Amino acid sequence: MSKIICRCEEVTEEEILQAIRDGATTVDEVKKFTRAGMGLCQGRTCRKAVERMIANELKEDVSEIKTSSYRAPVRPIKMKVL
Amino acid sequence: MKTYDAVIIGGGIIGLSCAYYLTLKNKKVALIEKNQIGNGASGACDDMILLQSKKPGKILEMAIESLDIYKGLSKELNYDIGFHNRGGMILIDKEEQIPFMEDYVKQQKKYGLNIEMIDEKAVKKLHPYVKDGILAATYGSEDSQVNPLYVMRAFLSSCISKGMEVYKGSGIKELKNNNGNWQITLDNDVTIESESVVNAAGAWSREIGKLIDIDIPIEPLKGQIAVTENVPMLGKENIWSADYIISKLKPELVNHSERFKELGVGLSFTQTGEGNYLIGSTRERGNFNKNTDKEVIELLTNQIVEFFPILKDVHIIRTFAGFRPSSVDGKPIISEVKGKKGFYIASGHGGDGIALAPATGKIIAEMICKEKPSLDISEFSYDRFI
Repeated sequence: MSKIICRCEEVTEEEILQAIRDGATTVDEVKKFTRAGMGLCQGRTCRKAVERMIANELKEDVSEIKTSSYRAPVRPIKMKVL
Repeated sequence: MKTYDAVIIGGGIIGLSCAYYLTLKNKKVALIEKNQIGNGASGACDDMILLQSKKPGKILEMAIESLDIYKGLSKELNYDIGFHNRGGMILIDKEEQIPFMEDYVKQQKKYGLNIEMIDEKAVKKLHPYVKDGILAATYGSEDSQVNPLYVMRAFLSSCISKGMEVYKGSGIKELKNNNGNWQITLDNDVTIESESVVNAAGAWSREIGKLIDIDIPIEPLKGQIAVTENVPMLGKENIWSADYIISKLKPELVNHSERFKELGVGLSFTQTGEGNYLIGSTRERGNFNKNTDKEVIELLTNQIVEFFPILKDVHIIRTFAGFRPSSVDGKPIISEVKGKKGFYIASGHGGDGIALAPATGKIIAEMICKEKPSLDISEFSYDRFI
C-alpha cells in the first residue's frame, strides 16, 4: 500500500509519481492532475512534500520547482458569513 | 536546430487537443507553454459541456460533435476524464426573461437539441432545495460535464508517449518564416523549426500574432469562481440562471444594477465528480488581474444562497479567476492565416473552450494534413478580419 501524501483528498505517493510520469513538472500541475492540495487545507500539509517529490523525480534542486499559487480564503469560510 | 512537423503554442485544452490529433496522425509535434499546463482559462473554469448555452449555429454543431467525441474519450485514452451526463437547467425567476428564453429554446430545438420548458413544480421535483418563486426553467437532457484537468492530463500523457516534446516555462521571443519553415526562438534562446505552427495561446493569442505582424482580435474576459467543500448532491442537474445566458448572448437585456452589468454576473452552479460545487461567474472586460476580489466572491455566494438557501452553512475553500479568450464577434478563430502559409490559429473560444476542444483539435489536425475537415467551419476563418 502506497503512502498517503495529501491527506485531505487521500492522494497516494504512487498517484503523484504517475502524474509526474504523465508530464507534470510543477506543484500546480500535480495538483490539477491528482487533486493533491485541492482539499480543505489547500495544500498546507502536502505542498512541500510534493515539491520534493517532483525535484527528486526530475533530478532538480527543490528551489527550481514552481510551487502552487495561493488564493483566498485563507481558511474555509461559511457562505452566510460572506 | 530541432525540427518538427507542427509546433503548438499554448498548453491549454485547445493546444493539447490539437497536439493529440496531430500525434494520432504520426506527426512530430512540439508544445510550447510559457507557464504551466492549464495555466490560463482551461485550468480556471467549470467543467461543463453545456449545449444549452451555445449560440444556435456552427458553434452548437461543433459542440454536438465534441460531445460525441468526449463520450468515447475515456476509453480511447485509457484514462477516466470524468465524463458524466447529468443534464442541465436554466432557472428563470423574472417575468421579463421568459420571452427571450422561450425563443431561445425554440431555436435550439431546431438544431435537434432535446430541450424543453418545465414549470416550477417540475423544477422542484428535480431540485427540491431551490428557492420558491422560480417561474420556469429550461431542461436539457444532453448537457454533460467532463473534468478539463483530467482531459489535459490524458492528452499530455498520450502525446508524450507518442514522442511529443514539451518546452515549458519559456515565452517566445521571435517567430519568423525562413524559406517556408517557421523558426521559433524562445526567451531562453533555444530555436526550433517547424513547417506548421498553431497559435493556441488563448487570451494571449493576440501577443503571438504581433510576432508575425497580424492583429488577432481576441481579448481576455475575466471570470471568477468560488469552490465549496465536498457536499452531497443537491440534485442531479447542473444549474444556470437566465441572467447567465442573457449576460452571455444579449448583455443589454440584463435587468440589474449597473455594477452587476459591468461585472457581467450570472449564476452557474455545477458539481464536480468529487463533490465540490463550483459557483460562478463573471464576465469582466479590461481586468487582467488573476486574483479574485472579495466584492465579486460575495456577489456570487450571496446569489447562490438566494437560489439555494440550504447552502448558507457550506464552506468556501478556494476561489480562482481565469481569462476567457474572447474574440470580437464571439466566434472562435480556427484556420490557417492567408499569406502566412503554415501558421494556424485555434483560439477565441470564449467560455466554450472545453465544450469545443475535441472538434477544434481534430479539425486543425485535418487542415494541417491537407484533409477535408470533418465539419465545414469556414465561417470561423481568420479571413473574416482581413
